[in-house]
Amino acid sequence: MGAATAARPAGAASAASTKTASAVYAERFANVCAACHGANGRSDMAGTPVLAGQHSLYAITQLFLFREGRRTNEAMVALAKPMTDADLRGFSDFIGTLAPVPTQAAPPDAARMSKGQALAQQHKCVFCHGSTLDGGQGVPRIGGQKEDYVRATLLGFKKGERPGYTRAMTEALSQVPVEDLDLLAYFVANVGVDK
Amino acid sequence: MHQRRLVSLVMALPLVFACASASAQEAEPGWAKGRPKTDTAMKMAPVPAFPIPTAAADLPTAKLKLPPGFKVETWASGVLDARELRQGDKGNIFVSTLFVGNKVYVLPEKAVDGKRQPKTIIDKTPYPAGIEFYKGSLFFATNKKIVRYDNVEDKLDNLGEPTAVLTDKLPGGDDHSWKYLRVRDGKLYYNIGAPCNICDPGDFAKIYRMNLDGSGVETIASGVRNTVGFDFDPKSGDLWFTNNGRDWMSEELPNDTLNHVTQPGKQHFGYPYCHQGNIPDPEFGWGKSCDDFAKPAALLGAHAGSLGMKFYTGKMFPKKYQGAMFIAIHGPWNRTKKYNGVYVAWPDGKGGAKVEPFMTGFVENNAYLGRPVDFLVMKDGSLLVSDDHAGAIYRISYAGK
Repeated sequence: MGAATAARPAGAASAASTKTASAVYAERFANVCAACHGANGRSDMAGTPVLAGQHSLYAITQLFLFREGRRTNEAMVALAKPMTDADLRGFSDFIGTLAPVPTQAAPPDAARMSKGQALAQQHKCVFCHGSTLDGGQGVPRIGGQKEDYVRATLLGFKKGERPGYTRAMTEALSQVPVEDLDLLAYFVANVGVDK
Repeated sequence: MHQRRLVSLVMALPLVFACASASAQEAEPGWAKGRPKTDTAMKMAPVPAFPIPTAAADLPTAKLKLPPGFKVETWASGVLDARELRQGDKGNIFVSTLFVGNKVYVLPEKAVDGKRQPKTIIDKTPYPAGIEFYKGSLFFATNKKIVRYDNVEDKLDNLGEPTAVLTDKLPGGDDHSWKYLRVRDGKLYYNIGAPCNICDPGDFAKIYRMNLDGSGVETIASGVRNTVGFDFDPKSGDLWFTNNGRDWMSEELPNDTLNHVTQPGKQHFGYPYCHQGNIPDPEFGWGKSCDDFAKPAALLGAHAGSLGMKFYTGKMFPKKYQGAMFIAIHGPWNRTKKYNGVYVAWPDGKGGAKVEPFMTGFVENNAYLGRPVDFLVMKDGSLLVSDDHAGAIYRISYAGK
């Protein structure tokens, strides 16, 4: 149903070539991405986002923004610059196949979690990201994302430094006080841990 | 003392209320206003164009269905986020983009080595949707300003600074802030869409026009939620426009509409009070009557995403289509069952219009293979159609008898 699958060709011939492509990009992911992001899409490296469970349409959008130099991160821009359209599609399709990997962190503080959940409701995060923050299509899965990365991302949107296709996140955060961001990041990172 | 405390309390009250209502509204994007709280609806959000053009060999061109005698071919591929189409006097085809591209391209009329390579003439500019060509000048509108490049076809290698800034006072923002432009009789027509799904729009939700130097701004139509397609009937000179209906009321209502301006500046087309001419808004409709607003000429489908509109002024198509309106139905995002296509509409001479599908086949397994946006009638009478989803431009021609 998603736009990501929509543009993909159908038919037996292209299914065969897709198979080859998926093997190719599984290998390239292992060689190019895994060192920082982890072979299964979750690493311990600070500031490096979890890719496990991320949606391919969101992933391709971010790779595109890196390639265009619209989203800034030196390492990612350098990696994305030489990528062809087929590369963007191949990497993001592969990322879309990575199953979510839960964090190994200790069970979170229940009081902070319930405050954080109230904030996520109040600031309407669940409006687009869904009640379990798993997103869908162009909306990223943020539940279980690393806390430091979520905090930095929220701050980046709030300051207007992190671009998207639209200013939706910057506008959504415009009225969220900075002091709420820590608790939001804590909640988002630990969603689904306390069971 | 007692009295002073009372006064300060009274003065503080409106402030408290203002804060309270601001916090109730905060963080909800404009497009999500009025969205029901069910899981299905909560997962629907505007889907931007795919960031990669579909490879030429994978375009849906061969799957598209047209009336007998018509033929569609791929005219250009690899045109990321292709939106509005206009042609210069020297043949150059201008193509704008929206969220993804941040660019305006120019393409040659004639293919070079069997291909038309888009050349970027405006880059790194958010909301670069509004374009119009008139007497050698390119008019270009973002969500914030409208500018003019004179003799544009002589400086395609480097446009430089605009010749004139017509206005830099447009309201900006996200929701419905992108532009559609047409010039008619020395006036530039443009839209300012509602800054939300449903709200009291103030000076938004109107079609305006201005002189070609930016002076003399006038309202042409009010109560227009968002039009991204309008054109003038070559016979009567009247303005017709498509209008995107409100979201979230239900899967099947209200419809997008096709509208006919018969009294420029005097008509109100209903938003936010009345939808599709006969449905009072559940919130803003109280105390209003649909009878007080201009009725649509035709309904175009629920959440259709009716975009570009063009009267067919060519001679290649059969008589039946000469003087008809072609309408690009982009297809819904906030409706479970997807549909889209190119529609055609004929004024019925009584203020209404008859609408039927003209080119379909862009939807497979409830997913879009392509999404039509805008049109250009070529000198030979063929019709170009842009597709922002697949990043392509198609050419429709007629070879029947």
